[in-house]
Amino acid sequence: MNRWKRLAPVTAVVASAAMVLAGCGGSGDDEAADNSKLTVWMMGEGSEAQTSFLDGVETEFRQKHPDTDVVVQYIPWLEAPKKFQAALAGGEGPDITELGNTETQGWAAQEALADISGRMNGWAEGKDILPDLVKNAQLDGKQYGVPWYAGVRAIYYRTDWFAEAGVKPPTNWEELVSVAKAVQAKKPGTYGLALPGNSELPFYSFLWGAGAEIATKDGDTWKSGYNTPEAQKAVKFWTDLVTVHKVAPPAAAGWNEIDARTQFATGKAAMAFAGSWQQGAIKKDNPEIEKVWGTFPIPGPAGQPAPGFAGGSDLALWEDSERKDLAWDYLTVLLSKKNDQAFADSLGFFPVYQDLVGGDKYANDKVMAAFATTLKSTKLTPLTPKWVEVSRNKTVTQAMNSSVMKGQKTVEKATADAAAEMESILNAK
Amino acid sequence: MTTLTEVPETTAARETPARRRRPVDRLPYLLLLPGSVIIGVLLLWPLGQVVVMSFFKLDNVRQLRGDRDWPWAGLGNYADVLGDPFFWTVLRNTVLFAAANVVLTMILGTLVGLLLNRLGRRMAAFVASCVMLAWATPALTGTIVWKWIFDDTSGLVTWFFNALPDGLSQALFGRTDWTGYGWFNSPLLFFAILTLVVVWHSFPFIAVSVLAGLKSVPSELHEAARVDGAGPWKAFWKITVPLLRPVFGILIVLSTIWDFKVFTQYYVLAGGTQDRPTFMLSVYSYAEAFSPPPKYGLGAAIAVILTLILLVVTGLYVRMVLKQEEDA
Repeated sequence: MNRWKRLAPVTAVVASAAMVLAGCGGSGDDEAADNSKLTVWMMGEGSEAQTSFLDGVETEFRQKHPDTDVVVQYIPWLEAPKKFQAALAGGEGPDITELGNTETQGWAAQEALADISGRMNGWAEGKDILPDLVKNAQLDGKQYGVPWYAGVRAIYYRTDWFAEAGVKPPTNWEELVSVAKAVQAKKPGTYGLALPGNSELPFYSFLWGAGAEIATKDGDTWKSGYNTPEAQKAVKFWTDLVTVHKVAPPAAAGWNEIDARTQFATGKAAMAFAGSWQQGAIKKDNPEIEKVWGTFPIPGPAGQPAPGFAGGSDLALWEDSERKDLAWDYLTVLLSKKNDQAFADSLGFFPVYQDLVGGDKYANDKVMAAFATTLKSTKLTPLTPKWVEVSRNKTVTQAMNSSVMKGQKTVEKATADAAAEMESILNAK
Repeated sequence: MTTLTEVPETTAARETPARRRRPVDRLPYLLLLPGSVIIGVLLLWPLGQVVVMSFFKLDNVRQLRGDRDWPWAGLGNYADVLGDPFFWTVLRNTVLFAAANVVLTMILGTLVGLLLNRLGRRMAAFVASCVMLAWATPALTGTIVWKWIFDDTSGLVTWFFNALPDGLSQALFGRTDWTGYGWFNSPLLFFAILTLVVVWHSFPFIAVSVLAGLKSVPSELHEAARVDGAGPWKAFWKITVPLLRPVFGILIVLSTIWDFKVFTQYYVLAGGTQDRPTFMLSVYSYAEAFSPPPKYGLGAAIAVILTLILLVVTGLYVRMVLKQEEDA
């Protein structure tokens, strides 16, 4: 067995040819004291605004560390898991990385991220970060990431089409259906609601709005909330939009959030679920749309706005980094309240500090107000490293909803199957 | 590696008559060496590693690096895979898909091969180059184009069905508005489109290979058959097929191997590894190994099972072909 273990590093090297090609920064053992370079991985394509913002952060950081060069590398979101695996397998990675806050626990369980509980405790500004976001970056009571920016989903709508149809933004489920139908009837060839049938996060607003939970922990055992009448009500409402009310097409069963957002941006749908950070992408598809769009919170069944998933990004120190102290210094500069506000503004996100989110700044913003409302009642997906298997590998929720929309299962069967599968994964030893 | 450095030393050191023969003896092996080394390092060794990994419980990237122990799992991964009812769905998908694709690819490829053989020189060159374009299109690019063709709002197929007279469309399919139709929603329709894409990609190779085989059949044989009153159908089965049996044999084996492990076309059409009801073994192996959380051991076990199935299927088939040749 030891022989295999010794061969393993070679396997890893062969397997991660991609990483070698990418030639990411060297951090061998003999360079432990080398503080001339700090490697930072950022997700996405790196807009001009983000680049110039990070240049400013670097200038600020170098006032204290004049000899350190900060190298920022952008990694497309969808490439990130592969890049992380390759970096871990090859032993070469960044010093700091951004990562989606649904993924922090999973990578912490893979021992990719450093435990920063101690550093967090000693950091004054960090005490004001929204507690739900902080909790979402924990595993077994230890802190593995710091929230960087936050986002929730709401519904974008066409103000001009709503005016033509003589309807107002809906505030409960019943109105959502009638408004979608009214606009769709007024605008033939379009959909009332671009529904991402193959995405889980927008759906959770309906699940939580109906009063159901994804899963709850009782002692050592996870219990799925999917086979409750409340969850079935949510699944029925969500899938009925396609199958009964037909305000979204059958193809919506396979749409993800980007597909759905594109329908809205290209003038094919009157409403769409999207995050505040997607304003830029929508405007990129259709610069004119800014004049005729508005947003409203995802409604609950009876008039209260539904809770939303507390999405966003975390920053983490890479476990293999040889420069964790330096990296933490950079991180606290990047995360200062001033910088966090500036960055969130440029991206259409929210800063992660309670005191920055609360004020009037957002309440009067045409687009951001709806998101700010939802940000007051956020919820999280189950806090366990096994959740990533439910969410990303077995895609339990997505499959449950798609199967009903495609007519393959009844609501009762789909929810029962999903609950059983979820419990078997979460409770696996 | 050591052989490379030894050779000049020994040849230079010895001046016996035996020396004269030796370079000639070694030359073929020396020429084979670079190729074998590359195949060994890039193919055989990783293949061996996959087999080894399938016997361990590997769910942490750090294990690959050697930072953590590799707990021995014995046949545990195989038991997990075979004990999961989902595996049998995946296996059924894989086998049915491969069977349908091999049959359709062979039929279409052979027909086009026969056509090319009958066409005049210029026309044959034109048709052959058109057909080869499909073969030359990279799987990824080609499939993305197909996905656009089946796009639910602006795809060519959606447009075509919308352009059908409403009465006809209603009578045949029970709907007139195809905008927003979920082309990939039902597994059967999904597999039909996937089959279309895969057959489109692979029939040109069959066609050209069959054509090459046909060119080697003496034309007297066909003339004699015609004189004896055999129609094209009879001539094909009595002359072409027996003579081209080795060609068909190798083409069927190759197609089987390719169609059992279709991945790229699936991944693009299905938009990733979310649509579990349409999983096939190659996709299943990838999803288990690399979708978070990683389960490299389990993924490796599925890959080994896929390889074993392929070996058995092709082995049986090759034996059958050889046996028929002996009998003939």
